[in-house]
Amino acid sequence: MNRRYTLEVRQQMAWPWQALILTVSLILGLLISGAILVWAGVPAGELLNEFVFLTLFDAQSLKAVLFQASPLIMVGLAGCLAFRAKFWNLGLEGQMIFGAIGATAITMWEIGSPAMRLPLMIIAAMVCGLLWSVAPVLLRLKLQVNEIVSTLMLNYIAINFLLHLMYGAWKDPKDAFPYSPKYESFELLPDLANGLSLSIPIAIGTALLVLWFVGISRGGLYLRFVDKSPQVARAVGVPVARTILLAVLFSGALAGLAGLMVAAGQEGRLTHSFYVGYGFSGILIAFLARNNPIAATCAALLIATLFVAGRSLQVFYQIPFAMVQLIQAVLVICVASSDFFIRHRIRRVQVGD
Amino acid sequence: MSKQNAIQLKGVNKTFDGFRALAYADFTARWGEVHALLGENGAGKSSLMNIVAGLYGPEGGSLFIDDNPVKLRGPKEAAKLGIGMVHQHFKLVTPFTVAENILLNLGHIQTSGLYRERLRRVSDDIRAMADRIGFDIDPDAPIHQLSIAEQQRVEILKVLLAGAKVLILDEPTAVLTEEEAERLLTTVRGFAREGAAVILVTHKMNDVLRYADQVTIMRGGRTITSLRPDSVSVDELVRLTVGESTTNADQPSANRTPGEPYLRVSDLTSTGGRRALNGLDLTLNRGEIYGIAGVGGNGQSELANALMGIPEPVQGEMEIIGEGYLADLDADRRRVLGIASIPADRYGSALAGPLSIADNFALGDIHSGRYGPFWYLKTRAIEADAAEAVRQFDVQGVRSLKQKAALLSGGNAQKLVIAREFSRPPRLVLAHSPSRGLDVKATEAVRERLRAARDDGAAVLLISEDLDEVMAMADRIGVMSAGRIVAEFSQPADRQAIGQAMVNHV
Repeated sequence: MNRRYTLEVRQQMAWPWQALILTVSLILGLLISGAILVWAGVPAGELLNEFVFLTLFDAQSLKAVLFQASPLIMVGLAGCLAFRAKFWNLGLEGQMIFGAIGATAITMWEIGSPAMRLPLMIIAAMVCGLLWSVAPVLLRLKLQVNEIVSTLMLNYIAINFLLHLMYGAWKDPKDAFPYSPKYESFELLPDLANGLSLSIPIAIGTALLVLWFVGISRGGLYLRFVDKSPQVARAVGVPVARTILLAVLFSGALAGLAGLMVAAGQEGRLTHSFYVGYGFSGILIAFLARNNPIAATCAALLIATLFVAGRSLQVFYQIPFAMVQLIQAVLVICVASSDFFIRHRIRRVQVGD
Repeated sequence: MSKQNAIQLKGVNKTFDGFRALAYADFTARWGEVHALLGENGAGKSSLMNIVAGLYGPEGGSLFIDDNPVKLRGPKEAAKLGIGMVHQHFKLVTPFTVAENILLNLGHIQTSGLYRERLRRVSDDIRAMADRIGFDIDPDAPIHQLSIAEQQRVEILKVLLAGAKVLILDEPTAVLTEEEAERLLTTVRGFAREGAAVILVTHKMNDVLRYADQVTIMRGGRTITSLRPDSVSVDELVRLTVGESTTNADQPSANRTPGEPYLRVSDLTSTGGRRALNGLDLTLNRGEIYGIAGVGGNGQSELANALMGIPEPVQGEMEIIGEGYLADLDADRRRVLGIASIPADRYGSALAGPLSIADNFALGDIHSGRYGPFWYLKTRAIEADAAEAVRQFDVQGVRSLKQKAALLSGGNAQKLVIAREFSRPPRLVLAHSPSRGLDVKATEAVRERLRAARDDGAAVLLISEDLDEVMAMADRIGVMSAGRIVAEFSQPADRQAIGQAMVNHV
């Protein structure tokens, strides 16, 4: 008897198995990340302590994680929607920035009564985020302009426009840093009774809304066709252009809302804090989650944990924050590789002599 | 001359995801013969041949080439041993030229020299080989400019130049017209007479009867028997293949009175570079099947696309009488009017393979609001309708409505398309090669649906390159040539005259 291994393409894999493979790959990624951290000087014994116990079992840190997670959940969901429409929206960051600018404009110009201020800011953030995604999607649909390039370039315009405002018209005269004036207390996302920010229920509610849209609406069915077989979609009467437009505008609006969560939930003013790369984390979260809204929420929590733990590592062990980005990258590579095992089956065959 | 075994397979098994494609299959092909491998869709013919070509590894069993036991580690190794396979779906890089495609496949032969130099040598070889076997192929032509029949010739040249002595052709005549098929099979029989082994994978009885020296019949992953085709009757061959006798289709009755005109196409002309459609006129009445016959590549695909709403640059009029112009109707309006489209390319323009059966079915009646408003899908209603349609249209192999449509075999996928398109009573049926690649039973089921639609008063347009199909189905026959209808016939039509019209105007 002669044995050898062959590789076969799988037709379909039951989802519990997919989840298992994904989990194993994530654990593997975390183990590799742990090894890198140990190598960088974090005592091995402290790793579990730092990451798991101090971050997730400490009420204060857990709040920090949830707080950090909500804008990440929003951009992650925004990524899921656009990518499902086969629209590579790399402009999540720019849309976030414009969302935050829109919200801040309401505060600068003091539009509406104090009670109406926050709802107006939310609407303005969504509308501005949406508007910043209009040009690339129309260019793509009407003139086949590659959205990867157009959305990416619009990020730079957005960032530079933000800096223009921060150093110019909207600069807080009382502050040496290029920040906008602080928001009034009624312009901030309030804390709920137990000290959790309102942004957390908003993020979870949005995740459920997106789940509804992609799962049990007609738009979601159309989106599945556009995602899996665009050519068939066109031939069988799916309104392809309208579906893409809807998904991308929805995506832009959510990114805008994420911008508001950073400005009115975390910073309390408009700053250039978007430089930490929220937009790209959103792309990554959508990828880790395979564009599934619930998985995106979990992935955003994971990334938020990394952010929070990364900050304490920075303080206690002088580990640079870039290490957090390195860990993100390791996780992505592990999950991307796990795809191979979901698509293929390795079999041992016996070749009789 | 004693015939030696070219290829021998003994007790070969193969499973895919738990599905048993081959069960202890045996097969022997000898040098110098055309050996037909006959069976219905899904009988395991392609799987068996893919094992010979080194694409699949067998699970158990053994393979002998020239009576020597071999283990193939891949298609390259099979090619080195002189095995060449022409697949049903061609493996050509379409933007590249003929010579480039063929050079790509010669990795194990031509390895030295500059690229330009090798390309020139290959082009010379192509011309020489093409001359010898009577193919008319320009080595510098890009693949996408070639017709299906020409692409097939490129595939054959590709394996011959790679040194194939065992030539496997998977359903070679499925995409060809009668004349093209005849030419091809005559050529490959020539190869066999020169000593090669030719294996013809097919489900067409005619190919077997006219060209094969030996036939092996497969059913349900097993090789049933191997015999000389002239040693048994056609009925016996059919019985062995199908496993039971099938009813014969009756000819359409001559004295059918057609209804009012329903679809009028006038002066339909392609606006692209090539005049694929060139002033086509046609009138289709209610309650009739109008068959369009013709040699492939005379504008049939372009006509089908234009009518089915698949993007196609045309000008001219396509009017649904009393309802407006076809080009102005959007998807929901088409559904409301009861326009059913059955395109030739099932997985390219009718079914989304990665999506579920229920999802694919739902599109048939989604615009009407039957399955809920835009923001909510009544999944239960969809699944109930889909389950009913699957039962009514006899779609086999459905374990769950959530299973991917790609897992259905060709015939069942086609039944699903028809089930969806007929989920509202159709008034206009547009069918392009609806039984291509289907087995006898599935073909009959599909045809029965089209006849039933006609009997209920629908106008049915049947575009088919299979003249037998048009003859068996159509009440009126239009012959398409060079982008227009050049002759019309009413039943009973003279087959000879139609054949004349098909070729005279090419």
